[in-house]
Amino acid sequence: MTAPIASAPLLCIRDLHKSYGEHIKVLQGLNIEMKPGERVVVIGPSGGGKSTLLRVVMGLEQIQAGSVSLGGKPYIDARGRKTVIDTELRRKIGMVFQHYTLFPHLSIMENLVLAPRKVNAESRASATERGRKILDRFGLAAKADAYPSQLSGGQKQRVAIARALMLDPQLMLFDEVTSALDPELVAEVEAVILQLAEQGMPMMMVTHDMWFARNVASRVIFCAGGVVVEDGPPEQVLGHPREERTREFINRVFHIKT
Amino acid sequence: MTMTLDFAILPRFADALALGLWTTLKLTALCIILGVGLGFLIGLARSSRSALIRAIAGTFVEFFRGTPVLIQLFWIFFCLPLILGVELSNFVSATIALTLYMGAISSETFRSSLKAVGAEQMDACIALGLPRRAQILNVILPQAVLRAIPTLLSNCISLFKESALVSAVGMADLMFIGQNISNNTARPVEVLTAVALIYFTIAFPLTRAVTLIEKRMLRKLAA
Repeated sequence: MTAPIASAPLLCIRDLHKSYGEHIKVLQGLNIEMKPGERVVVIGPSGGGKSTLLRVVMGLEQIQAGSVSLGGKPYIDARGRKTVIDTELRRKIGMVFQHYTLFPHLSIMENLVLAPRKVNAESRASATERGRKILDRFGLAAKADAYPSQLSGGQKQRVAIARALMLDPQLMLFDEVTSALDPELVAEVEAVILQLAEQGMPMMMVTHDMWFARNVASRVIFCAGGVVVEDGPPEQVLGHPREERTREFINRVFHIKT
Repeated sequence: MTMTLDFAILPRFADALALGLWTTLKLTALCIILGVGLGFLIGLARSSRSALIRAIAGTFVEFFRGTPVLIQLFWIFFCLPLILGVELSNFVSATIALTLYMGAISSETFRSSLKAVGAEQMDACIALGLPRRAQILNVILPQAVLRAIPTLLSNCISLFKESALVSAVGMADLMFIGQNISNNTARPVEVLTAVALIYFTIAFPLTRAVTLIEKRMLRKLAA
C-alpha cells in the first residue's frame, strides 16, 4: 500500500439535499468526509436529519442533490430527478436499525447466512461456519437455532449486528440501535459495538446516549437543520462545544442545571 | 296443534347424510385449492406495477365481494351456458362459482398480509444487498403467507358454510339431501337441526383452531 491511500477518505458525503415534498427540508447541503478507521457519532435534535443522513448513505432514500462516495468511488448520485445507486458498492456498507428488522420467519442462523448465500453465492456450510464464529464472539452461540421472537431485544440487536458483519462491510452504520431497548439491555449491545470499535471497524452512528457517544467516538458531528453545525473530537463537541447551538443542545441533553 | 319430536328417525338416513357430507367436503376442498391459488395471483395482481392489471383485479374482487354468492351461482349455472353455448353440469357450475368467490375473498387476505410485512423488512433487505429475487422469495412472500394463514382458514370455514348454496342448483350436497329428507318425512325440525349440527360440528373446532393459530403466528411474526 502506498501512503496516499491511507489518507484518502473512506466516505465522502457532498452537498446532500433531501426534502419531503416542497416544505419539509431534511438535509440542506450536508458535507462530511470520513477517513478510514474513524468512528463518527452524529448527534443533534430530532428532525435535524441524523437518521435521514444514515438512510441516504445506505441508499434507502432518494435525494434531490448531492453525492456519496466510498473509497473515492461515487455510489450515490442525484442526477436530475433520479437518485442513481451503485448496488455493488453499496453492499460494502452494513446497517443496523432501531427496530432490529430481523427476519422473523427465519432462525438466527438462517438470518445470518441468507445474504452471504444470495449475494456472494457462498456455500451453506461455509456461511454457517462463519456464522457460528460470529455468534460465539457475541455470546449467542446457544441461540443459533432459535427464532427472533424467542430472543430479548438486546439479543436481537446483537444478532442484527452479526448479520450485517457476515458480509464483511467496510463501514457500519448504526441508527439509534439502543433506543428501542429496555435500559438494562443497552449495555450488552454497546459492548458489542465497542468490541468492533477496538478492532478498527469504521462506523457512523446516530445515538441519543451521550456517554456511549463519548466512549466510542473518535469524532462527533453535531447536526441540526439539515447541515453540519459542529464537527470535532468528542472532548470538544461534547465537552467544550464552540458553537452556541451545540452548547444549548449539550446542556439540554445532559440536564445541566445550577 | 301439538308437535311431537321423533329424533329416532334420523339413524335411517345416516348413510344418505354421510354421502351428502362427503360431496360437500369434496367440493369445498376442491374450491379451496383452486380458490387460494387464484386469490394469491389476484393478490399479486392488485399490487402490480401496471395500472391496467391493478384495475382488472380490483374490479373482479369488488364485483364478487359486492354481489350475493347465490346470484353468482345462478348466473354461472343458467346464463354462462347461454353465452358459451356449452351445457355446464351443476358440479362444474358450483365449482366455478365457489372458486371465484374463494379467489375474491382470499385475494384480499393475501393483499393485506403482503402489506403487513412492512417497509422495515424491505429496508433490511436492501441494507443486506439482497437481490430482488431473494427479497421476494426468501423474505417477503414467506412472511406474507404465514400472516395470511389464520384469515385463510377463516375464509375456508366461510366457504364450507356457503357451499350449502349449491343445493339450489340441484347438487346433492349435505344441504340438498337434508332438505329432501325433511320434505319426504315431513320432519323438518329433526332433520334440519341434525344437518345444522353436522355443519357446526365441523366448523366450530376449525374456528377455535383459527384463534389459536392466529395468536401463535402473531407472536412469532411480531419480532
